[in-house]
Amino acid sequence: MEKILEVKNLTKYYKDVLGVKNINFELYRGEIFGFIGPNGAGKSTTIRSILNLINKTSGEVLFKGKQLTKDNLELKKLIGYLPSEVRLYEDLTVKDLIDFHLKFFDKDFSKRREELVKRLKLDENKKIEDLSLGNLKKVGIVLAFVHGPQLLILDEPTSGLDPLIQQEFYNLLLEEKEKGTTIFYSTHVLSEISKICDRVGIIKSGNLIKIEPIKDLIDKSLTYVTITSKDCEKIINDLKLDIKDYKDNTISFKNFMESNELLKAIVKYDIDKIYIEPASIEDVFMHYYK
Amino acid sequence: MFCRELKVNFKNFCIWTIVTIILFLIVFLVYPSIMSSSQADQIDEMMKIFPEDMLKAFNMDISSIDNVYGWLKSEGFVFILLIIGCYSGILGSNILLKEESDGTIEYLGTLPIKRANIVLTKSIIGVFYITIITAIIGIFNFIGLELSGSFDEKQFILLSITPLLSSYIIFFVCLFLSTFTNKTQKMLGISLGVVFVSYLLNTLSSLAEEVEFLKYFSAFTLSDIRNVIINTSIDLKMVIASIIGSFIFLILTTIRYNKKELV
Repeated sequence: MEKILEVKNLTKYYKDVLGVKNINFELYRGEIFGFIGPNGAGKSTTIRSILNLINKTSGEVLFKGKQLTKDNLELKKLIGYLPSEVRLYEDLTVKDLIDFHLKFFDKDFSKRREELVKRLKLDENKKIEDLSLGNLKKVGIVLAFVHGPQLLILDEPTSGLDPLIQQEFYNLLLEEKEKGTTIFYSTHVLSEISKICDRVGIIKSGNLIKIEPIKDLIDKSLTYVTITSKDCEKIINDLKLDIKDYKDNTISFKNFMESNELLKAIVKYDIDKIYIEPASIEDVFMHYYK
Repeated sequence: MFCRELKVNFKNFCIWTIVTIILFLIVFLVYPSIMSSSQADQIDEMMKIFPEDMLKAFNMDISSIDNVYGWLKSEGFVFILLIIGCYSGILGSNILLKEESDGTIEYLGTLPIKRANIVLTKSIIGVFYITIITAIIGIFNFIGLELSGSFDEKQFILLSITPLLSSYIIFFVCLFLSTFTNKTQKMLGISLGVVFVSYLLNTLSSLAEEVEFLKYFSAFTLSDIRNVIINTSIDLKMVIASIIGSFIFLILTTIRYNKKELV
């Protein structure tokens, strides 16, 4: 698979305060990479460092194998960015702003523009200052997508969008993915990750603690287990379990072992019943968040 | 981007131009009636009690304020220097910083445009508007003087051009200083401080020989009105100093802006 973006040892300190530390990941052509973490974990710092809006303390970012510097205009033309808080020139109309945007690109994107405006139900004659939060986000989406970028960096893209437009937005994303566009998708909304992302990176306190394909994360990471046995005490002591509930010879616990490993570990006990249920993606993420 | 910047800064330019023109319109309308010949004599008498250095500081030793052109040469051009200086300072401190305070830099910064080009485009706009406001005020005063009586046209044209030399420098100094902060409010105070401290230093430097060195710290030294009144010419050294100074601060701004954390 073709590597599109490589982030190597990215570290950012704000004076003495850590933003992110030793962030390493690679994005491949045509994948949607989810990037999640609690508030202040370093998601926006990572994005802004990649885009050179802030200075990296150390590390490098390669886009299509070349250093992504502030002044590499050819590479910048291939990136679409949607910030979490869309702030645009309030004195312009939507039409004027898209016109302004397209002047920075050499090709004619009028068809794509027309399509996006229509699909997102935008009124081009409205002034930016008169737009609601959701409509402002829609303008941001048009600006990020309209020039046919090869890399889309989206920070909280669906906040403020109504469910219908959200669905239209997911459709747009999947179409972009089909075309081979790489999408870096930073969000708080955990359900979105399992719905659209291929892989996910979890960032916490400035450190990227896990990168996994979504499927593996769900399969491997966490299960909820309920065991009914006369040997409950022994099981708890031997396996050092994170017990959720314990009564009447029945224990419930969070399990971080693979299922066959767990079965091997408990086979020596007298087990009446065992029930293993997969955790939801939200539960998995919450486990890493805490 | 050039057209957009032109449009964005047009409103402020209009406000400053209109206010200045109204100020000078009032002068042209009211001055002749204030300056009846008897009052002019009284003012000349009053001037004699001021120390010579004080009169020199306001060019009152080489021009009489008994007519509107005389007033322009002594006080009028001081107003023009300060007004265009303030406009230049505020423009310089805002033109880059506004993108950051409005949060639009997060959009602009990701567009395929070099930061150096952002600085250059905004600098060209700044220089353009400073030149235009100076020209408009000059043309307005020229018409006013034509209607008020005779005056030295060549001297007036040179006097009208002179404020540009200090204003360009003030603009570029404030542009440079604005790269050290993200807050427009802070920069507004700093830019006005630059203008008034600079003017104060220039005035003090002409009051006594011991403090003459202060003129080297003032942008207004470049707009040597006294020299234009006496010699009817602009000192080429001042023109060169203004151009070189502006260019140096433009380069410094570009270097600083390239390293700046924009969000």
